[in-house]
Amino acid sequence: MAALKRVQQWATFARIWHVFDASWQNPFESAELLKKYLMGLHKPIYHPMNDCGDHVIVINSLDIALPGDEWKKRVYFHHTGYPGGATWTLAWDLHKKDPTLRRYTMERLHIFPDLNVPQSLMKNVSNQIRQIRPVPKRLDAYSEKEVKEFPKIIDLPKDYILR
Amino acid sequence: MVFTTAINCIRARGPDEFWRKRQIFRLAAHYLGRRRNCYSVTIKIVHRALVYATKGRHLRKEDMKSLHETRITAGCEQHNITFKDFKEGLARCDILLNRRSLADLAAWEPYSFKALTDIAKQRLDDDGLSRSK
Amino acid sequence: MSNRHLFLVPKFITTPSQNGVGRYVCQLQRVVLKFCKNNGGSRGMREFIEHDLINYTKDNPGTVVYLKPRRHRGPVICAEYLNGEKQSIFCNNFSCEEIAKWLNLLLTQSGNHEGTRLRKMWHTENPSVQGPWTPYTFRDPTLNLAKFPNVDLSTPLSCPKTATEHLLELFEKQKNEKFENEKLD
Repeated sequence: MAALKRVQQWATFARIWHVFDASWQNPFESAELLKKYLMGLHKPIYHPMNDCGDHVIVINSLDIALPGDEWKKRVYFHHTGYPGGATWTLAWDLHKKDPTLRRYTMERLHIFPDLNVPQSLMKNVSNQIRQIRPVPKRLDAYSEKEVKEFPKIIDLPKDYILR
Repeated sequence: MVFTTAINCIRARGPDEFWRKRQIFRLAAHYLGRRRNCYSVTIKIVHRALVYATKGRHLRKEDMKSLHETRITAGCEQHNITFKDFKEGLARCDILLNRRSLADLAAWEPYSFKALTDIAKQRLDDDGLSRSK
Repeated sequence: MSNRHLFLVPKFITTPSQNGVGRYVCQLQRVVLKFCKNNGGSRGMREFIEHDLINYTKDNPGTVVYLKPRRHRGPVICAEYLNGEKQSIFCNNFSCEEIAKWLNLLLTQSGNHEGTRLRKMWHTENPSVQGPWTPYTFRDPTLNLAKFPNVDLSTPLSCPKTATEHLLELFEKQKNEKFENEKLD
């Protein structure tokens, strides 16, 4: 009986590894989604004092999409503590420097800029979290025939300069 | 005998000072330092603790309510129904289980909970209400 | 206020080795009734010893009862349980009936519960009939064979139609209508 109960306990508090594809996702919306998995809010055994959070592997963090002109306008502030040590870094600049940035230590969140995840982590994964929004298809992904057949609203004059 | 003098204005100090203070000291027995030894400090701390206790009785209920809601939401999400729709569906079926028993069912009797979500979903579909995804 | 100020040990309800299932073993092994022969505080105790003690011992052969007269001291009931715990109740000025009730309590309880606080008013060995929730309870079996990362599992289930899609649909409809009209002509 005791052995069965022990196994039951292990099963209930088993940590699941999820994988999330961050390409073309809004990081602020994804954060809300991933928070649920990292804290264990998606389990009916949740309690703030029990440790039931899951692991999440985020892939393709290089391809996240910030809404509007956030890349240009969002600023991250850092102060070294010395006089004149304040720095303001724009979001695009910071993303170029480190696309796997995390604000605070979240030990169960593993972020990778592309699909190259170590096999030791990837073999744990047993679930995939669905994306919030569909990934748009870029123009270079369409074949030439499809582009030609795509209905046009107007025919541009020949001397019109496309920028 | 009727007193017409100032004796009526004297307020009774209550029972013996030692016992009155001991009552307070007993509540402060688990504090440290002057908080448990000096009455003038103790009375202040004990009064504050009692106020916290009064507030805490309400806060505890709110905390438990939000915890149960979190758990039910987690249970509902697995079965593709939101907490709001779930409550609505159950209310329409006259299933008046409170949050606590629903949360207990979600954790301890998962298949009964699944049956409840199925009932709620079926009822919402029968009544022609669209379920929010 | 916190439960800390109570200075009680928090505990759950337990039964020593499933007592009462199939057989019952009285957990009270020994009772010592200490009393004074002269003092008025022991009057109820003396009355109990005179009238009810013989019946009490006859009814409970599993419990040893000692009497300990001592001069000019208050009356005390000392109980010793099977698990080695001791409990003493000071019963000055208790009436005969009160002492009978206290002895009955000592007889029926499983140990010394003084200084403990029950965390729950109930206890069950089997809290769940269907088995508690686990992450695998409602897991989709197809996920067992899926290879991660998986594009199909990643796409969102339902999303609103985009304006482009709307336009494309309108265009298709228009084209079809035109085609049918030409056919009719």
